[in-house]
Amino acid sequence: MDTSAPPFAVEVRNVSKSFAGIEVLRDVCLNVAHGQTVSVLGPSGSGKSTLLRCINWLEEPDSGEILIAGVRIGVRADGKTHMPDRELARMRARIGMVFQSFNLWPHLSVIENVTEAPIHVLGMAKDEAIGRAEKLLEKVGISEKRNAYPYVLSGGQKQRVGIARALAMNPEVILFDEPTSALDPELVGEVLAAMRALAEEGMTMVVVTHEMAFARDVSDEIVFIDQGCVVERQSPEAFFDRPQTARARQFLSRYT
Amino acid sequence: MDQAALHTLLLGAWTTAWISAVAIAGGVPLGLALALLREARIPVVGHIIVLYVSLGRATPLVTLVLFIFVGAPLLGIPLDRYTAAIVTLLLNTAAFNAEVWRAAIRSFPHEQVEAARAAGMTRALIFRRIMLPQIWITSLPGLVNEMTFLIKASPAIAVIGIVDLTRVTNRISAITYEPLPPILVAAALYMVAIGTLVRLQRLLDARARRLAM
Amino acid sequence: MNKWEILWNHREMILGGFKSTLVLFGVSAIAAFALSSLIVLAMRSGRGPFGRVVRGVVDGMRMLPFLIYAYLLYYGLPSLGIRFDAWTAGFIALITYHAAYFAEILRGTWATLSTGQAEAARAHGFTTFMMYRRIILPQLVLRAAPVLGNQVIICLKDTAFLSIITVRELTAAASAVQSQYFIPFEAFIVAIGLYWLTSMLIEALVARIGFAAERKGLGYKRAAVRR
Repeated sequence: MDTSAPPFAVEVRNVSKSFAGIEVLRDVCLNVAHGQTVSVLGPSGSGKSTLLRCINWLEEPDSGEILIAGVRIGVRADGKTHMPDRELARMRARIGMVFQSFNLWPHLSVIENVTEAPIHVLGMAKDEAIGRAEKLLEKVGISEKRNAYPYVLSGGQKQRVGIARALAMNPEVILFDEPTSALDPELVGEVLAAMRALAEEGMTMVVVTHEMAFARDVSDEIVFIDQGCVVERQSPEAFFDRPQTARARQFLSRYT
Repeated sequence: MDQAALHTLLLGAWTTAWISAVAIAGGVPLGLALALLREARIPVVGHIIVLYVSLGRATPLVTLVLFIFVGAPLLGIPLDRYTAAIVTLLLNTAAFNAEVWRAAIRSFPHEQVEAARAAGMTRALIFRRIMLPQIWITSLPGLVNEMTFLIKASPAIAVIGIVDLTRVTNRISAITYEPLPPILVAAALYMVAIGTLVRLQRLLDARARRLAM
Repeated sequence: MNKWEILWNHREMILGGFKSTLVLFGVSAIAAFALSSLIVLAMRSGRGPFGRVVRGVVDGMRMLPFLIYAYLLYYGLPSLGIRFDAWTAGFIALITYHAAYFAEILRGTWATLSTGQAEAARAHGFTTFMMYRRIILPQLVLRAAPVLGNQVIICLKDTAFLSIITVRELTAAASAVQSQYFIPFEAFIVAIGLYWLTSMLIEALVARIGFAAERKGLGYKRAAVRR
């Protein structure tokens, strides 16, 4: 076995998942290298979100393994014992997630949303956490709202806070679950800009999205999923210009 | 528990039932009257009602019933214990009901009143034919909720010597030396009565929501 | 000597009773709230037998008069060999009874929270317990403050029932003073005044929590509006 640093930030090996008898993921494999941005595309109901939520074990696969930086999540190394709440929490702390509905904590101000997890999960000192949070809020361009409460923010502003909140944990990888799908069109750009900046800085990202232009410009790899199977795995140019399967062509025809 | 004990228990239940019923029957209209008086914005009366409602909701029933039973004769008003109990429960429940009615009156759409006035109806007619039937429905869940509280608080009247469903258990255990059975049966009877009211309240709540005011 | 002077001369009796009431009420309200925040977790634990039993007990308590429950603990349990003195029975009754009511209020409020934020907490590495303590519970208190406040006032009033099982609290003290010195009005007016004052303080506290909630957009009215 290779004993050097694990090559992949995320490894998905033969993951399958069914809901109420319907197979949502079938034997899915996926590898994400450090610093890579992978976009997961596919029609609605194809299992993209479920795949993402399996990576941080918000959904539990029926079979298969998932490894984060070489360590198995959800189940212990022996392959049999389920991870208890605390171990799972510790693994999740290394994975960031940005949600379609933002899911900010309404009783906390913007800056408190960003410092809450670092202080109470990572045990960071309050001053240090606030310092980091200020820098992150500036990075996503929302510093002036630091003391505001989520209910006054627009969707785009909330999502940028969500991104800062995920970054505050210094994660190995950030998962984006359709981050702009719930936004009014004028607000989509500011969120995509923030995500683009992250990708350019070398953050490892797995993005489920319908924003084709973004996926094409920013990704290192496109994974196309249809009906629970990985149908194509290509570089963006190859996928968008020369799709190899009929299903991919059919999907892309809707966006041109 | 033998026959005699059961009989005594049922007498206690009856006492609780009829006293509660009278207080409930009087407390609903009394609460409405208080709410209407308050909304009428008569200068001194309004303040007195606010004070009364505030005090009424903050005073324990035990303290109030002692106050009224012991105090009334000194004002020259002779009260037997049953009347004192009913008056106390009435004053207490009316204070809570006044708030329930007030909320319903406040949330009543003003447009309906305007339409009725434009059609030439007097205030009394508007209230009787337009407002009351509707605020009655929206108030019912809150009023029934208050009824459950009244029954739950009614054991307070035992402190002025009325043998209600709670106090009667002392009587029975003084003879049988077994306090647990009558207490359990009394608890069960209370739960049946209150449980029925709670179920009624849920039905009324659903009906009020369908009216969607 | 006028009646108010008599009352003033024996004020330690009333104040002693008031202190007892405050101790009973204060300790019980806090303990009941702490207990209820654990009970509500049990109530939400799905369809298993434990959750169902807890929900059943809570529903039962809400259909039971407080005094008969106190009777059960003080007069009834000795038949089973469990003997409490009046104060202990009073505390146990107040704490467990109101814990059930608080739990039902918290449970109802929890159902109105958006589910995504619990997921976000878990995704950020919060354990279930931490998530409950830092994310869920603060919001439950902020949103339900007026209803919780009402229940706290009911807890205060229920302490008066304990005078019937021989606990020497404010109502018992007022009753003793007035019967001994023939000053019913004065004694009870002061007692009622003290109850009233205490509930005013509780409502003021609830109002402050309400302001904090409004500031965060979680106020009673605004909580229903979701952007």
